[in-house]
Amino acid sequence: MIRKLSITALFVLMLGLLAGFAVAQDAVSITVRCKASPPEEDWRCNSFAVVEEQVEADLGIEIDLNLIQDNAGWGDYKNEFVLASEAGEAPDIILSGHEDIGAWAPAGFIIPLDDVIPMHSEFDDIVPSLWDSHGYAGQIWGIPQDAEARPIFYSKLLLRDLGWSEDDIESLPDRVVAGEWTFADMLATAEAAIDEGVVDAGNGWWHRPSNGPDFLYYYYGHGGEVLDMEGNLVVDRDALVATYELLGGAVESGVLRSDIIGLDWGEVWHPTVGQAETVLFAAGGTWNWPNWAINYVADKGGDEYLFENIGLTLIPAMATGKAITLTHPLTYMISSGSENPDVALALIAAITTPEHNNKHAIDSFHLGILNAQLESEAYANNRLLSSAHYMLDHTTALPNHPGWNAWSGAYFLGIQAVETGEADAAGAADIAIAQMQNELGDGIAVR
Amino acid sequence: MSESDTKAKPSAAFLQSRRNALRSYLGAYGFMAPAGVLVIIFFLVPVAIVLYLSVTNLASSNFTSDLARMEFIGLKNYETLLNDQFARKIFFNTIFYVLVTLSIFNVSLALVVSLLTTHIDRSAGFVFRALWILPRITSPVVYILIWKRMMAEAPFGILNQFNELLGQPTYNYVSTNPWVFVVVVNGFIGVSFGMIIFTSAIESIPKDLLNASLVDGSSRMQRIRYVILPLIRWPLLFVVTYQTLSLLTSFVEIQLLTDGGPGLYRTEVWSLTAFHRALSNYFGNAQWGYGSAFAVLLVMIGVVLAVIYMRVFRFDELVAEPRVEAL
Repeated sequence: MIRKLSITALFVLMLGLLAGFAVAQDAVSITVRCKASPPEEDWRCNSFAVVEEQVEADLGIEIDLNLIQDNAGWGDYKNEFVLASEAGEAPDIILSGHEDIGAWAPAGFIIPLDDVIPMHSEFDDIVPSLWDSHGYAGQIWGIPQDAEARPIFYSKLLLRDLGWSEDDIESLPDRVVAGEWTFADMLATAEAAIDEGVVDAGNGWWHRPSNGPDFLYYYYGHGGEVLDMEGNLVVDRDALVATYELLGGAVESGVLRSDIIGLDWGEVWHPTVGQAETVLFAAGGTWNWPNWAINYVADKGGDEYLFENIGLTLIPAMATGKAITLTHPLTYMISSGSENPDVALALIAAITTPEHNNKHAIDSFHLGILNAQLESEAYANNRLLSSAHYMLDHTTALPNHPGWNAWSGAYFLGIQAVETGEADAAGAADIAIAQMQNELGDGIAVR
Repeated sequence: MSESDTKAKPSAAFLQSRRNALRSYLGAYGFMAPAGVLVIIFFLVPVAIVLYLSVTNLASSNFTSDLARMEFIGLKNYETLLNDQFARKIFFNTIFYVLVTLSIFNVSLALVVSLLTTHIDRSAGFVFRALWILPRITSPVVYILIWKRMMAEAPFGILNQFNELLGQPTYNYVSTNPWVFVVVVNGFIGVSFGMIIFTSAIESIPKDLLNASLVDGSSRMQRIRYVILPLIRWPLLFVVTYQTLSLLTSFVEIQLLTDGGPGLYRTEVWSLTAFHRALSNYFGNAQWGYGSAFAVLLVMIGVVLAVIYMRVFRFDELVAEPRVEAL
């Protein structure tokens, strides 16, 4: 009897194992790789876990979802994907900057999505201008994950000290949009603040302390272009010189400190700007806000302190006469090594809804990507998002081009040269152009 | 005795001597084989690969690990490198960094610490040497974070907080004097290597030699000058050679501290440029081929320097059989 029972139990166990193995065999494995600053940006990957069951039910499959999310440096993060792609171990979905399309599409690491995007109605509602930054060689290669604006943060605290009325302060964003208050006005205000002792010399205006997308809007603001109509790299010398004159002039007048490039983000830049007590104007990104609220002014009241003492506006008009900003959407791309790109896209579609994207937008102060989000209660009632969403109407973007990296590096060299006084504006432009020509050869046209 | 017998006897002896010689060679090469295999795998093969990469246009936008699929562009990367307006500056930065760090810290200070700690109480000397080893055994990221926290501008930096307490002006130390900190930060790490080598060399000098010099009336300084230094000549030359090559290729601390700045490549060194080009940049399109050209030149400089050092310092004498055994 015992022997029979043992044999039966063994048989049942084997059947169970076989069944489990069969199910495991049927499960579709999807790996998603995200870069996110915790905790405010964690929804970038975590949203997939929320919709996993829904997509399983919709497609009638089992998904073995593997989320890999950390806050690695961009350079390491991007190299990791390139090397993994070549090794055949790339994640199915990679979240990265849209400008990577310019390198990864020609390398064959990601797949074009034009034919499959229409299969998911969720994508119909994406703000149309965002698709512009997802194209390369006439095709779409990614789905927007978020959008942001890179505004000027102004210290209400210091403007009050300078004698501005509450009306003056609160109306500043509107005056900037209207072109009534320009970049020259901003620099003049900063100079006045220094003269009157409201801020120390060098603290009238801070930009970011390392290379990054922000710097391009100064060049755009002076009428410069990076790509011509055919999509080839160009550099406009006049715009370049004007940009460097603006930056070098700000250092000479004492508004901008000459050693701003190289300041430590976490040790100096964020704690100084976030406190609103030291720097009058700072060029940053919308996502800085929750970072400051959580990490730098939590003891002073977090969000409430920031609302009381910091405002944000578009980058005031420069030579073009138009206030602008720059949006750098992060993008979900599907790797060419994915064995289940249809499932990967279904997962992306499932999180491309107001409900899911709002969580990320609200927690991290990234702007919405869907029209319906703007009408949703959660988004519309969010004081921060509603105060910044209009910036998407005035935005610009980085180019998607394999040579952008060399262009950007050379452009940044000119900025370093003029701010440290190692060259004047014309000399800095010469340095940048020579560097572009040496590295890009015939791939760059100087205008 | 037949003619064949007269030939057979020397032939056997000859064969035996050949056998012995072969055994001796095999023994020598057998002992060298593990090191030789390591050199081949971890130096010669990577150098060959990097050399090949340097004549391709490999980048993130056309990346492949298949050597046959890489686009051969001849010496174009080297042409671009030589035409780079900052290549000369970066080259001389590297020479400056290596010479200053090596001479002040890796050799001189290491020697001073070794001499001082071997002339005081033995256990106290051990404690001081252990302290000097801390920078080397600390993770570079932690080590640089400590330096950054100390040197950060007011009100964040510890030194500047003292300045404020004392009513003194505050400074952005690293930005104002980037080379000072690049050299000091790396030098503090470099001291420990020479210190260990020199200390063990000094400790191994027979005590009767040291005592004899004192009995003969020499002062401690004279004993160092005329007894100790000549007896640690070989370790000194070894440290100079090894640390030169080590400094040539080191960049992690510089990357973490200044990342080659401020301004136009103020503290950028050659190995850091190779890293920036090939492996790390903000917007991601890494230039593997171009970066490899920088790396190849660094390898060539290193090999040339190593050969020069070996000739000038007569390293063949260092590894020669002791004369007493050759007799």
